[in-house]
Amino acid sequence: MQGLARFLTYRLARMVVALWCVVTVVFIVMRLSGDPVPLLLPPDAPIADMERLRSEMGLDRPIYIQYGVFVRQALKGDFGRSIHFRTSAMTVVWERIPATLELAFASFLCAVVVAIPAGVLSAIKRGGTYDNIVMGVALVGQAAPTFYIGIMLILVCSLWLGLFPTSGRGDWRHMVLPAVTLGAFAMASIARITRSAVLEILRADFIRTARAKGLPEFWTIAKHTMRNAAIPIITIVGLQFGNLLGGAVITETIFSWPGIGRLAIQSIYSRDYPIVQSVVFMTAVMFVVLNLLVDVAYGILDPRIRR
Amino acid sequence: MLRDGRITRRGFLAGAAGLLGSMAAAEGLWARVAGAQATSKNTLVIGQSSDISKLDPHLSTTVNDIAVTFNLYDNLLSRHHDGKLYPSAATEWKLVNPTTWQFKLRQGLKFHNGDPLTSADVKFSFERTYDPKAKTNVMSVLNTIERVDAPDSLTVSIVTKKPDPLIAARTAFYAGQIMPKGYFEKVGADEFNAKPIGSGPVKFTSWVKDDRLVLDANKDYWGGKIDVDQIIFRPIPELAARIAALVKGEVDLITKIPPDQMDRVAKASNTKIEGVLYGGLYCLSVVSQKPPLDSKPFRQAMSLSIDRETIVKELWRGQGAVPNSIVVKGDNHYDPSLPPLPYDPNRAKQLIKESNYKGEELVIETGVGFTVLDREMGEVIVAMWKDVGINAKLELIEYSVYLQKIREKSFKGLRWTDPTSAYNDPDGMMWRHLSPGGPNAYWFRNARFDELGNAARFSVDEKLRDEAYKEMTRLELEYLPLIPIIQPMELYGLQKYVDWKPYANQTMEFRRFNLKLNRG
Repeated sequence: MQGLARFLTYRLARMVVALWCVVTVVFIVMRLSGDPVPLLLPPDAPIADMERLRSEMGLDRPIYIQYGVFVRQALKGDFGRSIHFRTSAMTVVWERIPATLELAFASFLCAVVVAIPAGVLSAIKRGGTYDNIVMGVALVGQAAPTFYIGIMLILVCSLWLGLFPTSGRGDWRHMVLPAVTLGAFAMASIARITRSAVLEILRADFIRTARAKGLPEFWTIAKHTMRNAAIPIITIVGLQFGNLLGGAVITETIFSWPGIGRLAIQSIYSRDYPIVQSVVFMTAVMFVVLNLLVDVAYGILDPRIRR
Repeated sequence: MLRDGRITRRGFLAGAAGLLGSMAAAEGLWARVAGAQATSKNTLVIGQSSDISKLDPHLSTTVNDIAVTFNLYDNLLSRHHDGKLYPSAATEWKLVNPTTWQFKLRQGLKFHNGDPLTSADVKFSFERTYDPKAKTNVMSVLNTIERVDAPDSLTVSIVTKKPDPLIAARTAFYAGQIMPKGYFEKVGADEFNAKPIGSGPVKFTSWVKDDRLVLDANKDYWGGKIDVDQIIFRPIPELAARIAALVKGEVDLITKIPPDQMDRVAKASNTKIEGVLYGGLYCLSVVSQKPPLDSKPFRQAMSLSIDRETIVKELWRGQGAVPNSIVVKGDNHYDPSLPPLPYDPNRAKQLIKESNYKGEELVIETGVGFTVLDREMGEVIVAMWKDVGINAKLELIEYSVYLQKIREKSFKGLRWTDPTSAYNDPDGMMWRHLSPGGPNAYWFRNARFDELGNAARFSVDEKLRDEAYKEMTRLELEYLPLIPIIQPMELYGLQKYVDWKPYANQTMEFRRFNLKLNRG
């Protein structure tokens, strides 16, 4: 237990450092990328108005002072005031987190629930028709662009078959098409990695031992194979989940899903750097927490790591 | 399809065929959805291309925002489809003396919170637009005003610094929305923007950003309750999804349909297209004075070598008109005697020779979709110029870079611009854009043009203004700081049961007299 506590403390400290670096980089990059002031005023606004706005936003101070102010406020959870929305940036981002998490979890669930069993079966029935079909579909899922999958799903499942709404957020029906679209890539990756991992394990000596023992095949797979295949599978699942959080922009745009991906892109275009900083920070937090959970899962699943 | 996890040739071909086949099938799916011609609905759902940004009418003039603010708030006057000004919050208006306009307010007007709408609110609203402390986006609309007087609760007296013939028109456009002084001063700008109060036919109910803006009908509206109980604005940025939502019946009205998608909506059984000629023009702005753009014959050659008819017919599928000058058809002082801008490549070649063009490369800097079909028109124009020997190329730039270049005036040659005729008058478009300091007055300065522009701006003598603007129009055609290309049709998609016609100035007003849902 003491080992686990030390392990956790170490990881938490690393988390904080990672978050800090991420946010600092964003701070620097946003300020170097261009002047947000012209974007806030009408094109025919006089120079004096621009200078006044710049001064009010504190953008005329030297960059190290801006950074100092930023640090002090960030520690209080204040990432500044959105230039576009004229309200606290963190509030704007926070409003969209539920939608983002909803979509990410739904996609993730879709991906895992479909992909892992599919990958395991594929490995077991390697070379057969089932394996070929599943791996073929997985190839399409990884190769087809997200916007293609999304729009095709709208046309077929929504317009033609009338099964689901075309876009927007609402009840569970609204979640299906975006979740499948966003989860397609993850689904495909997880299925393929699961198949490889299981195939690898099935070749191992201890599996031969289990079978020789007379253990029913179901238990051979469920207990011995899966526990060992879990490490690579959890790794890919963790990575894919991180991608789901960050890479949902296209899906969010196609389905008008009010998540942080779309917000991030719009804010980058309009140089609304308080929002960009907040989005990056929240995404980094979610990603880092996720990584921590994956590491803890490793620790629990694989005793070799704990030592 | 796969052998040992690798794609076979047969598999690849099968996959490719499948992909193409699915795309072809997709085309057929559009027309399959059956729909109704009548409805029992009481809600109007509108799908726009992006979310609202501000509910405070002074802080934004974007197309998506004014669609909302012209319904949340009243203006003193309103411009109807025939292009004329009609009473709205004001019942009469007149020019008392060259620098004083008087408006009489309607009796019994109320804001959504029950507060009465009086001349004090009008005074407050107008003065706020040009108050430097308020930092509004509409500072230059009403800044010809010297002061606003409110001699009694139903009378507004606007005194201008110099005679301004367009005050009535200005009140009908953005910056003219009437805000509640009492409520605003109580809650402050930020809270007002979050929970606005107006006097219009709908009131603010809720706004979930990037999801939906819900407005409930104002049952006590002076113009009568509109034909629905609720209007909902939904941002659907992806065009295919927006059209799908309309065809499926999830939304009742959508905006910004490019001409090549028109048929999808027109051919579906439950939807229709409504088009309106945009109250403005798409022009190429000649930004730079670097040779050869400094040569007048060369600029005329550029204009003569553009086959606008073909652009309208082919690129725009006929949804547009060829302009005859920088004044929009239907505006005051439009000169109908001028022919549409001609296409004469032979004359163009002659003029190019005259201008001693040495083959320098011209650059059109454009975005993709800042204005409809900007890149496509740019590509076509570059090709047309090549045919007469003008060496040009298209450069694509990102939106924030574009705005920065506007600020710094650092474009390399030409750029697209889409001036709107805000007051149906050349002062609001030709003069606004080409006067000293105007957004398209990069290098163009002509003493006679300025003299006429200033005289017409501050005169209430319509005959003088007419002569001045007609001469200015001819001067602009001679010097061509702006090369008008097209007056496009703006296309809206509606359910067949929605009876509403769009406005040329993009204001999207919904009132009892202009909106009806066919309930069978």
